[in-house]
Amino acid sequence: MNIEIYFLLLLPFVGAVATFIAGKQNKNLAFWFAETIGIILFLLTFYTFITFSEPLSFDFNWFTFGETTLPFGIYIDNLSLVMLLIATGLGALDIHFAHDYMAEEKDQARYYAKILFFIGGMILLVSAKELTGLFVGWEFMGLASYLLISFWHQNTAPADAGVAAFLYTKFGDIFLFASIGLLFYYAGTLDMMKLNQPAVNGMISTSVTHMIAIFIFIAAIGKSGQFPLFPWLMRAMEGPTTVSALIHGATMVNSGIYIVARLFDFYVAAEALIVVAAVAALSAFIGATSALVQDELKKVLAYSTMSHLSLAFIGLGAGSLAAGMTHLVNHAIFKALLFLAAGAVILSAHHVKDLWRLGGLSHKLTLSAIFMGMGVLSLSGIPPFSGFFSKDAVLASTILNPQTYGLISTLTIIAGVLSIAYAGRLWTLIFAGRPRDKELYDKVQTPSKFWIALPLGAMAAATLVLGNYQEELTHFITKKDHIKLHVSWLLPFMMIVLSFLVFLVYYFYNRRPNLREKVSAQPLMKTIRQVLLNGYYIEAMITWFAKNIVVNVVARSISWSEKHIIDGAVNGMIHVSHATFVLFGRTHSAKVSNQAGAMLLGALAIVMIIFIGSVL
Amino acid sequence: MSAFVILFSSALFSFGIHKLSILKSLGMTALAVAGVLAVLGYTTPLNGFSSSSAIQLFEVMVFIVLGAVILSEDENINITQSLFIAAASVLVLESATLLTFVISFEALSIISFILVSNIKDATQAEGAVKMFISGAIATGLIVLGLTLYALEGHSLNEAVNIKAGIFGTLGLWVMLMGLFYKLTIVPMHSWAADSYAQVRPSHAAILSGVAKTVVVIATFYIFSPFILENLSFNTPILVVLSVATMTLGNVLALFQKKIGKILSYSSIAHAGYMLLAFAAVQSSYASTGLLYIAIAYIFMQTALFLLLDKLSNGASDMTLEDFKGLADKDKFSALFFTIQLFSLAGIPLLAGFISKAVLVYAVVDADMTIVALIALLNSALSVAYYAWIIKHIYFDEANRKNKIASVQKMPLIAQTVLLAGTLYFGVFAYSVFSVTL
Amino acid sequence: MSYLLLIFLPIVLSLLVYFITRNTGSAKYMALGFFVVMLIHSTYLYTQLPESGYMLLGSFLNIKAFDFELVLQVDRLSVIMLLLTSILLILVALSSWTVKKQAAYFSLLIFFSGAIFGVFMSTNFMWFFIFWELTLIPMYFLVGIWGAEGRVYAAVKFFLYTHVASMFILLAFFLIYKQSGTFDMTLIKDAVLVTPALIWWLLFVGFAVKMPLFPFHTWLPDAHVQAPAPVSVLLAGVLLKMGAYAMIRMVILMLPLQAQKYAWVILVLGLLSLLYAGFMALYETHVKKMVAYSSISHMGLVAIAISAISFDSLSAGLYEMIGHAFIISPLFLIAGFLHHKTGSWQMGDMGGIMQKAPYISAIFVLAGLGALGLPATMGFIGEITILISAIETYGTWLIIILLGSMLSAAYLIWTFRRVIYGEMSELVMKTDFTMSKPEFISLVIFAIFIVLFGIYPQPLFDMINQTFSAYTSIGGAL
Repeated sequence: MNIEIYFLLLLPFVGAVATFIAGKQNKNLAFWFAETIGIILFLLTFYTFITFSEPLSFDFNWFTFGETTLPFGIYIDNLSLVMLLIATGLGALDIHFAHDYMAEEKDQARYYAKILFFIGGMILLVSAKELTGLFVGWEFMGLASYLLISFWHQNTAPADAGVAAFLYTKFGDIFLFASIGLLFYYAGTLDMMKLNQPAVNGMISTSVTHMIAIFIFIAAIGKSGQFPLFPWLMRAMEGPTTVSALIHGATMVNSGIYIVARLFDFYVAAEALIVVAAVAALSAFIGATSALVQDELKKVLAYSTMSHLSLAFIGLGAGSLAAGMTHLVNHAIFKALLFLAAGAVILSAHHVKDLWRLGGLSHKLTLSAIFMGMGVLSLSGIPPFSGFFSKDAVLASTILNPQTYGLISTLTIIAGVLSIAYAGRLWTLIFAGRPRDKELYDKVQTPSKFWIALPLGAMAAATLVLGNYQEELTHFITKKDHIKLHVSWLLPFMMIVLSFLVFLVYYFYNRRPNLREKVSAQPLMKTIRQVLLNGYYIEAMITWFAKNIVVNVVARSISWSEKHIIDGAVNGMIHVSHATFVLFGRTHSAKVSNQAGAMLLGALAIVMIIFIGSVL
Repeated sequence: MSAFVILFSSALFSFGIHKLSILKSLGMTALAVAGVLAVLGYTTPLNGFSSSSAIQLFEVMVFIVLGAVILSEDENINITQSLFIAAASVLVLESATLLTFVISFEALSIISFILVSNIKDATQAEGAVKMFISGAIATGLIVLGLTLYALEGHSLNEAVNIKAGIFGTLGLWVMLMGLFYKLTIVPMHSWAADSYAQVRPSHAAILSGVAKTVVVIATFYIFSPFILENLSFNTPILVVLSVATMTLGNVLALFQKKIGKILSYSSIAHAGYMLLAFAAVQSSYASTGLLYIAIAYIFMQTALFLLLDKLSNGASDMTLEDFKGLADKDKFSALFFTIQLFSLAGIPLLAGFISKAVLVYAVVDADMTIVALIALLNSALSVAYYAWIIKHIYFDEANRKNKIASVQKMPLIAQTVLLAGTLYFGVFAYSVFSVTL
Repeated sequence: MSYLLLIFLPIVLSLLVYFITRNTGSAKYMALGFFVVMLIHSTYLYTQLPESGYMLLGSFLNIKAFDFELVLQVDRLSVIMLLLTSILLILVALSSWTVKKQAAYFSLLIFFSGAIFGVFMSTNFMWFFIFWELTLIPMYFLVGIWGAEGRVYAAVKFFLYTHVASMFILLAFFLIYKQSGTFDMTLIKDAVLVTPALIWWLLFVGFAVKMPLFPFHTWLPDAHVQAPAPVSVLLAGVLLKMGAYAMIRMVILMLPLQAQKYAWVILVLGLLSLLYAGFMALYETHVKKMVAYSSISHMGLVAIAISAISFDSLSAGLYEMIGHAFIISPLFLIAGFLHHKTGSWQMGDMGGIMQKAPYISAIFVLAGLGALGLPATMGFIGEITILISAIETYGTWLIIILLGSMLSAAYLIWTFRRVIYGEMSELVMKTDFTMSKPEFISLVIFAIFIVLFGIYPQPLFDMINQTFSAYTSIGGAL
């Protein structure tokens, strides 16, 4: 029995408790506990990786109710292993980075305990054999993200952001929950490997599997921030940047793609991939365009996450597991890099996130600028960085698949090429040119090499090196020889457009800032900018619906009926009985003559009735 | 020797010693001896009187309750009256023919009149007058009925002839109407609502607690064969009267301000429940149910009025306001009052619950499910005003203007006796089920 | 005989306890001791139980003519309820540690404990009913004397409403006796009854009020809100469970055929309760009312589980009953505590309590997460088992249950936001949130239960499964 797997699964949770207790005793202990546990987790994963030969599968039962047993098995195969490596590797780097980033935070114990819990949730999710285990990890991450996003709960904005994160993802979660119930009923098993087999999913009618697949995809939409459940992802930027890096790079948002990839054959059988591709293409477009105009450093990255996760979904949706998954892996690394680099900038710039106040920082933050630049290049799909290969594969797969060729592939290509625009804009505004806010610029400090630059460097190296191992990565994940998706016109086309965009961004944002101002002063451009800035007002619409329809119409009318009808009827009994009391009271006169008369009359009336009755 | 002889002679004798303090002990002793005699089976040694184990049980209960009344009483004249009431009750309960029944009933009425004429203020006088006039009408009705019945040639000196003709039936019904006056059945109830609340509460205790139950038991034993004979005709009338009485009583008790008034309406409502036994006479549970509710009622109602008498110091105008915060001032009285009220409300482990349960079961047994439901819902409705009194006792802050008198030791002992009865019959139903008519 | 004492000793002694401890303040220790003895006793009973069927503990006061016999019999279901009750009583005693007028308060608790044990131990309808009604008395006083500002209205409403409902139950029992000649609930089956449908409806209404199911629930928000927090725990943890307990007995043991026929009624009302109360909670700004509606909503889930009438669903339902007791209790306790300290019920007046009372807030959040069905809490296990078993019986459309889950997430998370998180309100800033040790310990114990049985529910399910498999063997409806 593989003892390391148990450690891997239990250590984060035990460690979270231990970290919390230790951190309550001594503030500094919390970090060291977390760092140690993070590294151990990565080493355990790495050990599993190098000793890995065939999928590890352990069957456990969680509990039996009535005659039904809920399983809780562990299954670690190539796909899980890749996810584990991302989660623990990036997680460990993230913890390392937090040493400086969260140094001023008083409540260290709580922070690191939650981080470990978060990583633990992801580990549980990707190691689960059945949907039950997956759901537990899924919900753990929902909880952890809620707690971490509103880590600074004493402020209004993070507290609100936490609420949004929980509720948006919970909305998706209930669909996953429903599909657990339905699969248990229709398929009789929750084992995801079995669900992938035609013997199991073939038994169920396609309309049911289609519905279940859509349900699961809704959950994935929620977790991975796709249209229309993405607004929480942007709000989540209120949390510490290290948490954003964890959510966007290492853990949470990957889970949605993971579940679709995990049930890939089920989706194929359910004929649901096209839905995935369509929703994702729309999300990719929304994300990429919205990222273009954001003023806040982290929001640009958040929208780019949305857009890039959509690319991964599109890869899956277009039928290429390899394209989708490699893009997910690559994205995880460069996005964690970008977020941590952003964190380095924010830390150095005294928590200023407004892009228009930064600028020209490359002189002071040279290392960060370089590493972030590498992240930007990878994200934009510039060879030889890893992002290039996977993005290329995704685009090619949409073009080659007749189902997605057309609108979906067009949207995808637009989203793909726009990434250079917003990422380039981001980098330019932060690092290039002259400082816009002189006062701030003077205060910027160079961050620590060991605590800040080291993790950035490691990730930058990874994203560069991984570019050379795309074939192997693909092979490892899909276990098949990779069929090279190739569209001959794509590469030259991309290169031309990308170069053009690079030039445009540089010119627009660096050379001629006043031109930018003129353009953005146009009424039409202003409107477009507003729409994009607010993420197409999706959040406003959802909030409006929830507030005005659900709460103020449905809940309010129910509340009204409770007060005036249901409980009103009960309280009305008091009035009814009082009215009866008054009515009956009229029959009662305190006068002796009336009483005597009434008595006699009453008795006589009854006697008459009896008399008539007995005569008849 | 019999219970009646002992009681009657000691009542007469008590006139002679009514200034002495041993009167109380004399009364208690007489009741105790009478109780023993009743248990031993001595019946009034006259023609037209007989007894049964049920009657004996009930007599003993009447004696115990009257003993408690005497114990808590401090006016000697009332002790004498109580002994007379006891004697008359024995006669009423043991009478087996129409004639003896009517005579003993009238005797009881006269003693009641004398009892309430011990007047202290104008309100009590009003109550007494109302009772006299209504009583006169009732007596008239009874005599009228008796005459009608006799006109048909039936002998009065034997049990009711169930094969009476039209006039006989009519006569019996007219008599029942007269009796219902004493039982405070709608529409002959209105005097009670005023009188019980206006006379001195300790008198009301005897009137509504003792006299009423004695009459209801006796009436049932005399008239049940007659009612049983023509069920399809008699039952609907009785059901209507019963439902009307309980509903009216409960509804009118709801928003009253005076405690005495609430209790008198609750007394009317209970008369309605008791009348259910007449309606459900075909069920074998009817007589047990009636006996049970009579026993339970005699304890509960007497206890409440007696305690009210002590708390109000004999005045009859105690309001809910005065009861505010009683629990803080007088823990024991509050507790006694509350438990007896719960019993009246039909809360389990108290006599009031089981008695009502058996009675309502008799109705179910007689295939009148809807009537049973109405009775049960009425009982639930009654909880409203009982709980409302308890609310004043326990939930409200004491008010400085409250005119609550402190209760002495003797009345508390009397209350304990009465509470013991309520509790005993709430759990040990065996003693009632084991007796027969 | 000793089992008889278990019921009557508390009832009789409660008065004595009051007069002994009136001036000493030792009532709470006595009560706690009492409840511990009761827990030990019920645990002992559990170990003595036979594989299936009832264990006779004695019968008393037999009256042949009316079958009015106090028969004490227990089976697994009742002993589970006894265990739950005695654990809750201990925790309630702890959390009432600093209550005013202690002697009276704890005497009433002791009185209640006797009555509630009677409910779960007696199998004679009449005595069952007697104890059933008797539980109202201490509750009436506990709500009426120690309650908040609207206590009188709430107490009287609670008393009257449930009492009226009980009348339907009593009538049903009478009809049963009339038609079958026995008050023994272990002998009753549809087949021996003439009008089983009528009896079913009467019983259903009576039990539905107690559970409570929409639209018979309106006594609950008032009673729970006005009651002192520990009494709310008793109401939610024990009193509501009486309704569900009786419903289970009726559905599978007494009237299985009618239950099959009218299961849809329970289902529909359960669903309505779930959603209706969920929306009510969503709209509520009163902390404790929100918890009260959440409680109703969860009892709706229990009703859905009962309506599915299968081995699985009843196990799930019973689990959810227990889970609900442990989850809703700390919510009530903390809501009451907040009101006690701040003097306000409104969420708008609060905010940022996490900064002043982190541990209490954390337990509130934990229990709330339990209520919204987060994995590793009892709430999740209850929800998933009910979902699976309900779909098993009724098919796909029962995923509508999850709408309730979404609603509970919405109102609870939003409550956390308004009460626990965010900036400190002025009221919170000037309030001191220190809690007495025993009260806090009881909260911690609740939290431990929620998580422990949420992660490792098997021991509980072992007990529960045995209960219902025993019913299968004696010919229940399963």
